[in-house]
Amino acid sequence: MAKKKEPTATPHRVMVIDTNRCVGCWTCAVACKEVNNEPLGFWWNRILTTAPNESTAAAAPASENIDVPRGEYPNLEMAYLPVACQHCTDAPCVKVCPVQATFRRDDGTILVDYERCIGCRYCMAACPYGVRIFNWGDASYAPGGTVGYGADYRSDGRLVFTPERPKGVVEKCTFCVERIDVGQQPFCVESCPVGARVFGDIDDPGSEVSQLVNEGGAVQLHPELGTGPNVYYVPVRKRVPRES
Amino acid sequence: MATDTATVALPARGARPSISRIGLWYAALALLGALGLAAWVYELRTGLAATGMRDVVSWGMYIFTFAFFIGLSAGGLIMASSAEVFGIAALRPLSRLGVLSAAACVAVAGLMIIPDLGRPDRILNLFVHPNWTSPLIWDILIISVYFVFSVVDLAVLQRHATAGARWHRRMQVLAYVGLPTAVLLHSITAWIFGLQIARAWWNTALMAPLFVVSAILSGTALVTLLALAAHRWGGLTLADDTRRWLRGLIAVSLIVDLFFVGCDYITVLWGNVPADRSALDLVLPGGPWSWTFWVEWVAGGVVPLALLLVPRLRRLPGSLGVAAALAVVGVFAFRIELVVIGFVNPLTQYPPGNALGTYDRGTSSFELTGRYSPTWVEFAIVAGLVALFAAIVTVGYRRLRLRGAGTAADGPDRAGVRS
Ligand code: SF4
Ligand code: SF4
Ligand code: SF4
Repeated sequence: MAKKKEPTATPHRVMVIDTNRCVGCWTCAVACKEVNNEPLGFWWNRILTTAPNESTAAAAPASENIDVPRGEYPNLEMAYLPVACQHCTDAPCVKVCPVQATFRRDDGTILVDYERCIGCRYCMAACPYGVRIFNWGDASYAPGGTVGYGADYRSDGRLVFTPERPKGVVEKCTFCVERIDVGQQPFCVESCPVGARVFGDIDDPGSEVSQLVNEGGAVQLHPELGTGPNVYYVPVRKRVPRES
Repeated sequence: MATDTATVALPARGARPSISRIGLWYAALALLGALGLAAWVYELRTGLAATGMRDVVSWGMYIFTFAFFIGLSAGGLIMASSAEVFGIAALRPLSRLGVLSAAACVAVAGLMIIPDLGRPDRILNLFVHPNWTSPLIWDILIISVYFVFSVVDLAVLQRHATAGARWHRRMQVLAYVGLPTAVLLHSITAWIFGLQIARAWWNTALMAPLFVVSAILSGTALVTLLALAAHRWGGLTLADDTRRWLRGLIAVSLIVDLFFVGCDYITVLWGNVPADRSALDLVLPGGPWSWTFWVEWVAGGVVPLALLLVPRLRRLPGSLGVAAALAVVGVFAFRIELVVIGFVNPLTQYPPGNALGTYDRGTSSFELTGRYSPTWVEFAIVAGLVALFAAIVTVGYRRLRLRGAGTAADGPDRAGVRS
């Protein structure tokens, strides 16, 4: 799949996360942090503890802490919602960025140009999913030196990744452009121990992602906002609660 | 023509502040300015980590003070323009002071964005790579237009005041351009927030009208305060008629302002949509940010209204000044509430919330409900810019007056034209 040099077909890249499978282990979040050398305090990808199939902020959280189920024993429910950039089709962050530092590639990936961003943080105010991270000061990294990609990466000539973060710019999930541009899967997809994450071309009817979206009932987060995310979630198939 | 100055007696020479007092004033402003500059240098070296902002509350004092100053800039221009467009002679004497404060406010508002940028060195990207779907670009455009307009308008008013009739037409034309420009400035600034679907607290069509009316309110109140200060220290005489108009303008815009905010509250409370409700609950009595509610509705709402409208209170000396000051404070509280609550109210109600973007040993890197309190760096920079505003107004006021007083023809002409 992915990027072969066919002049006509640019893939339309989509990620599907099966919330029936996710066990909330944070492997994907930590793998993401590693491969992108994210500074301390940065999480491009995070795993929210929710009740099943709650994709809107409908209710106050059961707790400020993760892994706390909702409800009264024995009628407890809990599910996980891994959230990173949704790579929106009509992305508010792209619309508000005053200098076109945040931009959309033809394959639907939303990227930030580290060399153009002026650090106004309007995109952070505009993103409904809270996935953008700002470089507030000099980044501090976990000991042991640079991990992961370890090199600058340019897409359309624009600097969309650099291992040592410049102060004062915004960053976020890149769908692992370094990997998808050479036909690999994003690292979170690769690292998930239970195969909850699937990545592919939704324009290819045979791909697993189009099956999951078109037949598997995968849904978007906050579809009512019209942002048209390219990350989908397969809803939890709830079991009928047992009578106690 | 120049009924203009009929109600403003020229400053008697002796009434102008003595050199030493004005010297002290300038010294204080210079000190504040220097502190602000030093704080900015510190912020440039440390990065915005020097501020109280983090990834959850990612805009703070700079932005709400920016929005506040944009609002303040309304009063003068709208007052000067209304004086012409609606023929309110009583407001004419304040035209120049008003437009001067408008220019100063909008300049300071524009500058206020710069310390908020993570990369101020790249500010030219705004002109090299503008993105026309971004309200911010339009805002920068209208801020520039408004600033240039105010300066031109001030120059024309000044000519008109000193050289008279020849400039009258130009002044009137500018007055007609001024009103829509001011309305546009406040609307576009409001749309920075109001168009954002992400934040329920901001996403209302009411935002632009609310900004326009609160701008008229705070702007008129500011010009009132400046006029009272000039009356006290700068030798400007405020006629009763002018005071009556100021009182009326503040009262009416305050009522409309509270009405708009009230409409928003009713819509949220009745609808009870969780995302809207959780934001409003932060503000209503009992919520962690309820002080903004009290300042807005009581200290900056009911109290100034009573001072302006209840006959017995209205006659108290200083009631207009106190009411104007309270109204300004109320609008400032509204700006704080608007910007900060938009961020504090969590985008997602699920733990662990959003990453903060900085790491402090022993504390979580995540935050569910946002917290924000400005640091000394933010206070110092904002204070420095407020000092800049005060300096522009003082220098402008004195220079324009001095020039006026210096013209031989001016004195008799101005004093004589009372009809
Ligand atoms: S999730 Fe946020 S950052 Fe990602 S594309 Fe959508 S609006 Fe932009
Ligand atoms: S912070 Fe950077 S990417 Fe975000 S809107 Fe501003 S310039 Fe664009
Ligand atoms: S690695 Fe897989 S199972 Fe673990 S949190 Fe991420 S998506 Fe869920």
